[in-house]
Amino acid sequence: MPTYASLALVAVAVSTLAAAPFYLSDYGVGLLIGMSGYVTLATAWALFSGPTRYVSLATVAFFGIGAYTVAVFSETLPYPLVLLLAAAIGGTVAAVVGLSTLRLAGVYFVIFTFGLAELVRQTVTWWEVNITGTLGRYIFLPFEGRHIYWQLLALLTVTMLIGWLIGRSRIGLALKAIGDDEAVAAHAGIDVTRTKLVLFVLSATIITLVGAIQAPRWTYIEPSIVFNPTVSFLTLIMALLGGPMRLWGPMVGAVPLFLLFEWLSANFPNHFSIFLGLLFILIVFVMPNGVLAKLEGIRKGAAQ
Amino acid sequence: MTLQLEVANLQKRFGGLVAVNDVNFSLQAGEIVGLLGPNGSGKTTVLNMISGALQADGGRVVFRGTELTRQKPHRIAQHGVARTFQLVRPLPTLTVAENVLVSFAFGRYRHWGREAEKLVEEKLEFVGLEGRGRERVGNLTYIDQKRMELARALASEPSLLLLDEWLAGLNPSELKTGIELVQHLQGAGITILLVEHIMEAVRALCTRCIVMNAGQIIASGPSAEVLQQKEVILAYLGDDHA
Ligand SMILES: Nc1ncnc2c1ncn2[C@@H]1O[C@H](COP(=O)(O)OP(=O)(O)O)[C@@H](O)[C@H]1O
Ligand SMILES: [Mg+2]
Repeated sequence: MPTYASLALVAVAVSTLAAAPFYLSDYGVGLLIGMSGYVTLATAWALFSGPTRYVSLATVAFFGIGAYTVAVFSETLPYPLVLLLAAAIGGTVAAVVGLSTLRLAGVYFVIFTFGLAELVRQTVTWWEVNITGTLGRYIFLPFEGRHIYWQLLALLTVTMLIGWLIGRSRIGLALKAIGDDEAVAAHAGIDVTRTKLVLFVLSATIITLVGAIQAPRWTYIEPSIVFNPTVSFLTLIMALLGGPMRLWGPMVGAVPLFLLFEWLSANFPNHFSIFLGLLFILIVFVMPNGVLAKLEGIRKGAAQ
Repeated sequence: MTLQLEVANLQKRFGGLVAVNDVNFSLQAGEIVGLLGPNGSGKTTVLNMISGALQADGGRVVFRGTELTRQKPHRIAQHGVARTFQLVRPLPTLTVAENVLVSFAFGRYRHWGREAEKLVEEKLEFVGLEGRGRERVGNLTYIDQKRMELARALASEPSLLLLDEWLAGLNPSELKTGIELVQHLQGAGITILLVEHIMEAVRALCTRCIVMNAGQIIASGPSAEVLQQKEVILAYLGDDHA
């Protein structure tokens, strides 16, 4: 139940976070942008993949679509319209992809989504080279770091709110049932295909918006930057670390991992992927259900 | 008597195996009909086709005048056909109450909120799980999981219930309770197709029986008559006992 106290707490937290850029250096604001970006990605990813257990590696496909939409249209359309357009394109791609793939089970879905990200990247590259005759694009939007951060913070707040509402609604129950046993869910009256599709599109649309909002940060983009598969893997590992079945899980995983990866890529740029791989293995073996579940388990164990 | 379910020329192949071959029968409202036959004779496959888990290769299923053939399982559930599974299939990450709530929320009349919680509690009480709603299904004994599964099936408020060996694995006193539960359901006006091996239960519950062997119906009629027929005994027990 939402008590007024917890509502007030959320309001205080959001306004504190919103005021942070006034007290931080440019570097600090840059960190906040990256962090809120990944927290939003991981939370949005877990909206669909957490309860259904469909592990998607298509995150960067949508992220890149968002960034590219901004790069292509930011000079000809007003910015809010560009964001809407990005959301519409991301959502549409997700709907088409979802309709054709959400029947795939387990590992086939993982492989397909990974392939999808590559396919989108290759298609954009081909288009830019052969049709428009460029590879990279410049983005000139009059945004400072804090403007980008505020947009991400707003998107994150909305995403958390959506996640909270889903958790209390019929559709949240349907998702959990689907994650447990699709056949039983269907025999109980749940439209399994539609439920998965709605959540996949919702999750992908938010992910697209993260890419769109972050794009101006780069000034110059090209496919290898915005379609970098590391984004998909990082999002996945962050959500898994915190626990994708809980609303706060992805955030709990994303914040420390983001900081760790920042530090690693600054200090050991060549060994970054080794650390990533090791961390993956560690998480899967030590706490496959995430930190929050682990803590709950420890607390329960102590209580007994 | 009103016709509840009509199954006509139902057919299912798995590769070269004809699992269900030209099966025809109908159920009248309020009946409990036994579907009998040795293991592998195609009983579960028939239930799977009625409930939409499997697509029939041929034939039709008509329920209260609505064609169910080729409809999706969730549509069939919403039309008022519920089922249990031969091997219990609880939703393991949900609580007992949530397992039952799923069917209330998405079944025939779509209940939610306080009202649904009350209904869940009533159903749990009906199957003998009162006050157990907050438990994890994993903590339930096998029998209690079966009770929970019955409550979940009933929570979609069906008028036709397909029970696949729901009474199997119960001890004698549990069996007695189980039989009484099913009788209560009949009293509430639910039509039941009962796949069952336990003859005591079949005799106590079923007015009529349909016997399958190797995908085909080999006998059907009033229970007392059917259970004495020579080929039925043969199919079940082999030559020695005939
Ligand atoms: N999904 C399936 N794929 C292949 N063969 C199956 C499948 N389901 C059932 N069968 C086969 O069909 C036949 C009938 O099975 P089933 O309907 O489960 O029998 P019963 O419930 O009467 O024991 C069996 O030979 C079984 O092996
Ligand atoms: Mg069977």
